[in-house]
Amino acid sequence: MTLLWGFLWGVAGMTVIAVGAILGVWWERKVAARIQMRYGPQQIGPFGSLQMIADVPKLLFKEDIIPDSADKPIFKYAPLFVFGPIAVSMVVIPFSAGWAPLNTSVGVLFFLAVPSIEVIAILLSAWASHNTLSTLGGIRATAQMISYEVPRSLAVLAIVLLAGSLRPLDVVDAWRWWWLPLTFIAFLIYFIASIAEMNRGPFDIPEAESELVAGYFADYSGMRWASFMMAEYGGMISASLFGAALFLGAGWPFTGALGVVALIVKTIALMTIVMWVKWTLPRLRQDHLMSFCWKVLTPLALVQLVIVGVVLPWL
Amino acid sequence: MTLTILAFALSGLLMAGGAAVVALTRDLMRMVIGLGTFLLGVAGMFLFYGQAFLATAQVFVYVGGVLVLFVFAVMVVHRSSGGRPVLESRHDIGAAVIALGVSGMVILSLQDSVGGWLPASASGGAAIATELLGGHLVVFELLGALLLAALVAVLVIVGAGERR
Repeated sequence: MTLLWGFLWGVAGMTVIAVGAILGVWWERKVAARIQMRYGPQQIGPFGSLQMIADVPKLLFKEDIIPDSADKPIFKYAPLFVFGPIAVSMVVIPFSAGWAPLNTSVGVLFFLAVPSIEVIAILLSAWASHNTLSTLGGIRATAQMISYEVPRSLAVLAIVLLAGSLRPLDVVDAWRWWWLPLTFIAFLIYFIASIAEMNRGPFDIPEAESELVAGYFADYSGMRWASFMMAEYGGMISASLFGAALFLGAGWPFTGALGVVALIVKTIALMTIVMWVKWTLPRLRQDHLMSFCWKVLTPLALVQLVIVGVVLPWL
Repeated sequence: MTLTILAFALSGLLMAGGAAVVALTRDLMRMVIGLGTFLLGVAGMFLFYGQAFLATAQVFVYVGGVLVLFVFAVMVVHRSSGGRPVLESRHDIGAAVIALGVSGMVILSLQDSVGGWLPASASGGAAIATELLGGHLVVFELLGALLLAALVAVLVIVGAGERR
């Protein structure tokens, strides 16, 4: 029965991401336009909100081009495994106090582990395209995603250490407002590393439109291309939800239905900051990106762990 | 209960299918996919035995880490013909003998240990942590030091190659 529920929640996760991606694209266009002193979409529907209704059928009916030299089976199905793990990882997020779709004792580890399957899928789709730009993009994406997993996991470890549990619901229950200043460095590291994991600006080196065309998904079109975009927005939604739940106290200071609303508001705020960062900062260079991860974020995450370790016996 | 059996069968199928692909194909990338399928099947088996922590760690470390290294290696390998990288020669009988030998060795050596120091199947991550960071702390740390030494050695070798 648990398995069936898990499957149903997986489907629900995919639906949330698909709808979230549609709304997210509209919101991003508005945010980007505001930052660049433009209006953004405004012709279709109120505030241009129905623009995506026009865009989705376009993607659905666009010709699905598969290059002759591509490794066809891998090329066709790899996008599914880019998008799927992100949707599955959402099932452990505690949406309100005492309730998560899948309440497991290793939820935090699950959230960090399952999206790592996406890395393989990205590499496979890059390889299957059989072109230089895609291969370069795939290698860059993998190096970036694997490297940033380290500070990200270490940052989450600080919260796990404080809560004494890997169960997200236990973390939410144990959360106190003073964790916010105590784990602020960890939150910043988690947030920055999550943006890098999503391959979004200023960490969009694997896609780098101006040099790699679109990197690992340069050869994709139509719905297969949309799967990559949905994975990007899905990553943004799930990372923001997880960050809001673990680092910002989920529904705090409210409980019940208001708590869920508070969690959603915090998530939207985090997503907006992710967009703000993308449309403000220029793209990093590959070597700067790696140095930043290994020489700044990882040592800082270790310092945060030591701080929590020192404070822990006094709590 | 039926669903549990179904999940068990699916895990077994993933393992058998993945292993068969690795053993039978010559296409390197398909081999890696076969290996990934096998590893996911193993994670499913861990879940079936109630070891959620091990299952998640399996996905994190092996599927998300080790397997990526494999794909990475295949991707950067020189493709002289411009086609897909394939295994040019394989020694099926020799490999099968070695595989059987290693399996026998592992089974025989673990036979006495199971029920001994290994945590019982019902216990979770806490029991594993107590074992690794308790009684077997020295061995655990030595293994860590060995891996670190291997890593430093690789850096030295690569560095020497670059200088040359």
